[in-house]
Amino acid sequence: MEQILANGVYLGSQYAMIALGLTLIFALMNVLNFAHGQMYVIGGFVTYTIYGQWGVPFVLALVMSCVTLAILGALIEKFLFAPVIKGSAREESTMLLAAGIAFFLDAVILLVFGEKQRGVPKIVDGVFNWDFRIIMPYDRILICMLAILSIVAFIGLMQYTKTGRALRALAQDRTAAQLMGVNVDRYSMIGFALGAMLAGLVGGLLVTITGVNLGMGGPTSIKAFMMVMIGGAGVISGAIWGGIILGFMEAIGLALLYQYGDITYLLIFVSLMIFLAIRPQGLMGKPWG
Amino acid sequence: MQRRSLMKAALTAATLTAFGATAAFAENPVLKIGFVGVTSGPAAAWGISNQRSMEARAAWINETGGYTIGDTTYDIEIVSFDDQKDPKRAIAGMEKMAQEGIHYVVGPNVDDGAAAVRPVAESNGIMYFPYAFPKELYQAPASNAVLGMVANYQSGPAIYKYLMENEGVKTVAFIAANESDPLSQRDGGVEAAEALGLEVVSASVTYQVDTTDFTPVLTPVMRAQPDLLVLSGVSPANAPQLIRSARELGFQGLISTETAQDAGVLAEGAGDLANGFISVGGASTPELASPMMNEFVQRYTDMFGEYNDESNTKVYALEYILETLKADPSAITDVDAFQATMDTFEAPNPYMNGDAKLRYVGMSSFGQRRQVAVPLVVNVYQDGAFETLFVAEVD
Amino acid sequence: MLGFSSKQLIGVGVFLFVIFIGVPLVIGATGRWDFFFTLTSVALLAIASAGVWLTFYIGRINIGQGAFALIGAYVSAILVVKAGWSFWISLPAAGLFAAVVAVLIGLPILRLRGVYFAMITLVLTQVVTLTALALPITNGAKGISNIPLPSGLSIFGIPLIPDFGSMENTKLAFYLTACVLMVVTYAALYRLVNSRLGHLCRSMQQNEELASSIGVNIAYIRIVIFAISSFFGGIGGAMFGSIAQSVYPSTFVVADSVNFMLNCFLGGLGYVFGPMLGTLVLYFGWDLLFEIGKYQMLVYSMILIAVIRFLPNGLLSVRFGKGDKK
Repeated sequence: MEQILANGVYLGSQYAMIALGLTLIFALMNVLNFAHGQMYVIGGFVTYTIYGQWGVPFVLALVMSCVTLAILGALIEKFLFAPVIKGSAREESTMLLAAGIAFFLDAVILLVFGEKQRGVPKIVDGVFNWDFRIIMPYDRILICMLAILSIVAFIGLMQYTKTGRALRALAQDRTAAQLMGVNVDRYSMIGFALGAMLAGLVGGLLVTITGVNLGMGGPTSIKAFMMVMIGGAGVISGAIWGGIILGFMEAIGLALLYQYGDITYLLIFVSLMIFLAIRPQGLMGKPWG
Repeated sequence: MQRRSLMKAALTAATLTAFGATAAFAENPVLKIGFVGVTSGPAAAWGISNQRSMEARAAWINETGGYTIGDTTYDIEIVSFDDQKDPKRAIAGMEKMAQEGIHYVVGPNVDDGAAAVRPVAESNGIMYFPYAFPKELYQAPASNAVLGMVANYQSGPAIYKYLMENEGVKTVAFIAANESDPLSQRDGGVEAAEALGLEVVSASVTYQVDTTDFTPVLTPVMRAQPDLLVLSGVSPANAPQLIRSARELGFQGLISTETAQDAGVLAEGAGDLANGFISVGGASTPELASPMMNEFVQRYTDMFGEYNDESNTKVYALEYILETLKADPSAITDVDAFQATMDTFEAPNPYMNGDAKLRYVGMSSFGQRRQVAVPLVVNVYQDGAFETLFVAEVD
Repeated sequence: MLGFSSKQLIGVGVFLFVIFIGVPLVIGATGRWDFFFTLTSVALLAIASAGVWLTFYIGRINIGQGAFALIGAYVSAILVVKAGWSFWISLPAAGLFAAVVAVLIGLPILRLRGVYFAMITLVLTQVVTLTALALPITNGAKGISNIPLPSGLSIFGIPLIPDFGSMENTKLAFYLTACVLMVVTYAALYRLVNSRLGHLCRSMQQNEELASSIGVNIAYIRIVIFAISSFFGGIGGAMFGSIAQSVYPSTFVVADSVNFMLNCFLGGLGYVFGPMLGTLVLYFGWDLLFEIGKYQMLVYSMILIAVIRFLPNGLLSVRFGKGDKK
């Protein structure tokens, strides 16, 4: 039981971080960013290259992951998403753009970083073992704590800084925010960059545990979508809850249903569908869909 | 709608010129060999190691003057098609091969693709060498598929038997990704283990291929405390994570798989925790590798920057195709002749020390010779490299 | 005639001429036999994409068509292999089964909108794939292979469709079959869009509450449209299974669902024939880029991004400007 809880906390914290960036971008621009998973993978590869290959300290590599992705996100927003949103009759058209970017980043990752699974040396050695009731390697505990710390920092940023307030205003009502003197274009770009940066950060963190390969992008995006849906699209706290809930569902489902192996995920998906059918806006989303 | 037809015509014209342009560059006549497999997306590693080993070998042949079949010396050209692991694309790829006049194709890499291309291959007279294990592909009435490696239901029993005799393994647990290929391989493995008298303590645990944390997946398996944990059909991406999680959970037994792995990936992903991990490889361990194998590895590394140990098992298909064509030059355009030759074909194995032979096998598994005889080399990972555990033959 | 302008009739005539006579002639002359399969795929995927387009028409982003295509493929395969039905009867049965499933699933989920509907249909694709892996009747992970080719069909001794198994070359036969299905699908789609139901759908796309308040039974229309949409998916999937002569849980996956949706976006959501063009460009484009080897994906995605960047309303918007054409 303790082990399930520990697994749930670990999974939940990493999932929540993945979902955060996605939901932020969705809240600001109504863009479902299919390329979120690819951004996560790039973050992982940047950390891999800088920390794993060049031997630069891990923290610096992590910062580089964030910076790379923030720049990438800002460029994508400014030169691709912003003009397309302005020019399209239906805003769903951005989905095609997002998917195109996802394909593009996949291709770039393959050409630049190759097709192999990559991993970096462990940042901390050893395994925490509490009487075989909780077994958790130290590096996981560290990453889990870093993830929680990042989430707290992100919430702080959103709550207490000028940028955060502007972003929240933008998410709530674009027109009203503009009328109140928020530079919408600028903050859309900052928000997108921030969302991409979160993807890069979690990619850099997790490369120390799970490694990274070019195939992780698509499935990561889909998982992030599910968490966002559970919590409610475009709501920051919803994404965190969504991540934690999915993490615990996986931890508990795998522990209880292992003898039916093949259907654990089937049940998770089906219960997600039932949940959404009953509560279409997720846990705390606005019911505008 | 006229626009559409116009565009179609334009596109057709564009491709036709593109095809025309590739034709003339070599002095020797060109023999085209196809590759249809996955070289992008999540499973790209499988196809790319495959494609690259073919391209490395072809470049080597061309550099040293070409390959003589009958009275003609050919340059070898590899025509690759990325099927994105989608059976629909795989069919399109096979059609493309037929269009190029290719009769010998390596791939596809997965079960569904291999099954889907069968109608096209048989109606167009294409022999194909998939890396997929379903027996229906190779048993009559299927005629044109040749298994390009050792199947898990052949290597599995050999590994289990060896471990029973040498390591005293009595109980075994299986874990597989929730996908067609790994699940089929798991079922085959369970059957083989039970036939050998092993006790299967857990075989129902599966994981999604996109799993990022294997601790919850493995916890129930660890509770069963098997002597041997088999990672059925594990992809190179998941293997190090599974090994690492199992060891961190305190698992002391043996871990094995029936697929080929890359030592570099294991070293990066699991480090010393991967020591003792048993997998199937080709003939690249120092004791077995012939000078030719070493040169192949060298050339591959020079060409692509980094070797992939998975290519050890994938170097053979092209060699088999060429050697068989050499044995019967009329087979270049006639797959019936190829099939007839397969029954008697024999040539020395250039990649392995000793007197190993290239020949077609599969009588006991498929009832007809539809498998290349590659040495079943079982490796064990130790400190960043593979060591040979034992070598066996498949009949 | 039926309110068609002569220009439209000529357009349709030219189109039919091109796909049924022009394309086979060109392929025969150039010897590019491989294009038959590519174009057959385009036709079949365009049928499934037509369904997705239809759900867009009631304002729903559908990323679940892969699920219905997979259902259709399995139903047809099971009926042919295990129950010994003729493929030609299993084909509509597959479509109907997919439609019935769509009604059952649609009842609860069609209340959702926007990204929520998109996501739930995406999850649906995974559910169907995982179900196919888990069920005994679908043969689980091993899939159903060695499906016989479609047999002949005759009514009162008059042969309507020849036996595919006895044909020298099935490529042309499959191509023509797929094209007939595609033409019928798009004719039906065009008819539907221009019917009273089509007008009601448009009113729902604008504003569901408003439509409901003026007496439109939106729940009923949603279900009907979703069922028709899934019927198309089922037909397309079943036909594919018969060409590949095999069905696996991975025959249609999430990526396919996403591609169906992209086809609609690329062609243009405002145009009935948008999905057809979108499918042609997306699928055929990939095939044509095969020449450039490892840069295939890179170039393909860059073209895709460029198209959407400069034509955010789809390819057809070049010609017709903005707004609904039909």
